[in-house]
Amino acid sequence: MSVYQRVVDWIDLRLGVRDILEQNLTHYLLPRNINVWYTLGAVLLTLFGIQFITGILLLVYYVPDTGQAFDSVQQIMNEIPFGWLIRYLHVVGSNLIVIALLLHMLSVLFMAAYKTPRELTWVSGFLLLNLTLGLCLTGYLLPWSQLSFWATTVATDAAGAVPVIGDDIVRFLRGGAMVNEATLGRFFALHVMGMPLLFGLLVGVHLFCVRRAGISRPPFGDGYVPRGPRYTFEHEHHYGGIPFFPNYAVKDAAVISFFLVLLAAIVFFWPTLFMPPAGFEPADPFTTPEHIKPEWYFLWAYQTLRIFPDKFLGLAVQVAAMTFLALLPFIDRSRERRPARRPLFLICFVAGIGVFVALSIWGHYA
Amino acid sequence: MAKQVIVLILASVLFAPWSALAAESSCVECHRPQPGALGDPVGQWEGSIHQRHGINCSSCHGGDPTIMSMEAMSLEKGFLGVPAEDDIPSFCGSCHAGVMEDYLLSAHGQALGAGGPHCVTCHGNHAVELASLDIINRDLCTRCHEYGQADEMKSAMAKVDDKISSLQEETRRLRKLGFATEKIKNSIFSVRNQFHQLFHTVNVETVRSQTEEFSQELEKIDQQVAAMHQEVKNRKLLGGGVVVVLGAICILLVLLRKTYKDEEERVHPPGPPSMRP
Ligand code: HEC
Ligand code: HEC
Ligand code: HEC
Ligand code: HEC
Ligand code: HEC
Ligand code: HEM
Repeated sequence: MSVYQRVVDWIDLRLGVRDILEQNLTHYLLPRNINVWYTLGAVLLTLFGIQFITGILLLVYYVPDTGQAFDSVQQIMNEIPFGWLIRYLHVVGSNLIVIALLLHMLSVLFMAAYKTPRELTWVSGFLLLNLTLGLCLTGYLLPWSQLSFWATTVATDAAGAVPVIGDDIVRFLRGGAMVNEATLGRFFALHVMGMPLLFGLLVGVHLFCVRRAGISRPPFGDGYVPRGPRYTFEHEHHYGGIPFFPNYAVKDAAVISFFLVLLAAIVFFWPTLFMPPAGFEPADPFTTPEHIKPEWYFLWAYQTLRIFPDKFLGLAVQVAAMTFLALLPFIDRSRERRPARRPLFLICFVAGIGVFVALSIWGHYA
Repeated sequence: MAKQVIVLILASVLFAPWSALAAESSCVECHRPQPGALGDPVGQWEGSIHQRHGINCSSCHGGDPTIMSMEAMSLEKGFLGVPAEDDIPSFCGSCHAGVMEDYLLSAHGQALGAGGPHCVTCHGNHAVELASLDIINRDLCTRCHEYGQADEMKSAMAKVDDKISSLQEETRRLRKLGFATEKIKNSIFSVRNQFHQLFHTVNVETVRSQTEEFSQELEKIDQQVAAMHQEVKNRKLLGGGVVVVLGAICILLVLLRKTYKDEEERVHPPGPPSMRP
């Protein structure tokens, strides 16, 4: 008996790991018509893993102080061996994550995977989306560049649209009237500790929900029939399905490596794709640079605020839209999941994407 | 340069509070609508290098730009009026002291008041632009004498001038890629200012010998910039390798997935799955 086997045997005797692995890998069956969109969750986990590692490495040299933050980032970019690589991976990675998140959410929407019994999966996923955007927002300030400073000023300004207590909220977010040292302090704490902790917890909840309910069957093909109403908990089994490992895990890995190719291509050949020149100038509270725009995934919100004559109305519309999305599984309660039989949903789906894209482009060029 | 900086700081200390009080100075407000020589300066000055660096009417002419009456131009408020031709070098030289020194010692400076050109002859008074060798041209210089020596100077300086421009352009590009170019930018800027000042000696020999020194200084900067370019290339090379390897892995995995898929279809031909418990 090899040493390896003995070690595994020893552990197995105590923890029954072979059983766990079997249940979750080789004997974990997925629907036969499972498609490529189901790999996005695994892509997200990988990308977040990279963010986590590069984030910790950045922390080694980053100094969260308005006087030193910019220089410490410059140092990472110019003096620390491969510091530029680590920083660009983190920056580009965050943008790819948002892209993957949107795709993941859209595919879940399209296949109506949010419906009973997966409401909690959806809600926890939606919270993850918001938390991710929060991580992006707080991380953007840390380099303390002109871009950081003014984009954060614009973003926190939006909260001022809330009637009566708007100014107090802005003040609370910034820790003062302007974006300043205190803002950097709280954003730093949130970005490296608060939000990641909450994030880890929520990912756990999300995965638990996914695993407990069982992966949904794609609502396509002749054999598909919606499931009838349930009155007790029941895991959705896929008898005669394909094993997760190795059959589907290989597909996961293929799509993950596709995203890694994308990540590497941007990092090495077009690293400033998501970093306008103002990102390389130190923050200067006294000169507003021209063309300061929030990141692309906030443009829709930014533009919404601008097209409504009243700022509060703009904010209210945004909040309403987000709340609607968050509570979608409780609003859209029919059992039907086949897109062709949900024309109203399809119209909203396409129109929603159209509005998002149009607002973003408009915001970009306005 | 040091003097310029001090003057700049002084100017900003003196004028900043005023400009903060009134968005537009009284000088500009009252002169803009006036016809002819009284109003023209405003339009010419707007967009000039001086206006962009916060040098206002009163920075040059004196006076008090917060008073909205003729009182603004009283002697008690330090109004200097319009300088006579002979006074122009010192008028501009209050800020451009180094240039003035070189100029006054030069053949041009010596001939001031006797047919020699002064600052405004070459740079204009209100529409002053960033200085460049384009100012040395046949039209301007042959107004008073042959173009020969002018041309010699221009060609002697052209190479360094081009080098400075291209280095500035390159550092801007590198900066947008995240390189720390602040130090290099400053040294180029200081070389540039000293170099552009050199012309005012209008002495071909001085210009030639000093141009050589400037060349050597630029050579050092050039090496630093070249090192950064090399770094950019290295990164792309490394990136090419990484992308190819990852791409290959991706393709292999896709092929592997295909073999599994074939196997799945052999075991269970496509069609409605059996709902075995
Ligand atoms: C209330 C209007 C008004 C204001 C304010 C004003 N000016 Fe004048 N300025 C005039 C008029 C009118 C003349 C022509 C007067 C003359 O010929 O005696 C003039 C003449 C001048 C001249 C030419 C003087 C000359 O001797 O030919 C200069 C230079 C000048 N102004 C600069 C300034 C500056 C600098 C300021 C601000 C500190 C200023 N002006 C503010 C109305 C104004
Ligand atoms: C860089 C310094 C500088 C600045 C800034 C400046 N001037 Fe002048 N200005 C001069 C000089 C030098 C002359 C004399 C020009 C000459 O002799 O050709 C002059 C001449 C004038 C004259 C007399 C024009 C004539 O033809 O008689 C007026 C009026 C005048 N300036 C107004 C202004 C006003 C108004 C402003 C602000 C918009 C202004 N200047 C800003 C340097 C300056
Ligand atoms: C109150 C101070 C002041 C006065 C007076 C002044 N300048 Fe300037 N000038 C500046 C500043 C500040 C700049 C922009 C910073 C720099 O390039 O050094 C500048 C820039 C220039 C430039 C462009 C320099 C470059 O880098 O290419 C020229 C040319 C120039 N001035 C000419 C003149 C002339 C001619 C006069 C007189 C009519 C004059 N200046 C009077 C302050 C002044
Ligand atoms: C307003 C008339 C005038 C203009 C315009 C003028 N110069 Fe001159 N220049 C003179 C005078 C006067 C002298 C001294 C007498 C002489 O040597 O001819 C001189 C001398 C020179 C000399 C010889 C210096 C020496 O040491 O012998 C050079 C070189 C020169 N100028 C270059 C230029 C250039 C370049 C221009 C154009 C940018 C120019 N000048 C424009 C009037 C002018
Ligand atoms: C014969 C024309 C001529 C005269 C007279 C002249 N300049 Fe210049 N000046 C030039 C040229 C040409 C350059 C650009 C040289 C170059 O590109 O290397 C220049 C450059 C400059 C610069 C930019 C250099 C720097 O240090 O930033 C300033 C400032 C300047 N001149 C101010 C003045 C002042 C002030 C006077 C009067 C004391 C004056 N000039 C007189 C032709 C002239
Ligand atoms: C923050 C990052 C997220 C991670 C790491 C993540 C991870 C995963 C994983 C691994 C799966 C299972 C495989 C799959 O279907 O892809 C999954 C499924 C699911 N996710 Fe996410 N997710 C995230 C965000 C979201 C968001 C924003 C939503 C929607 C608002 C969402 C809703 C769902 C739903 C409903 C499922 C069940 C799909 C099904 O059973 O068919 N998730 N998620």
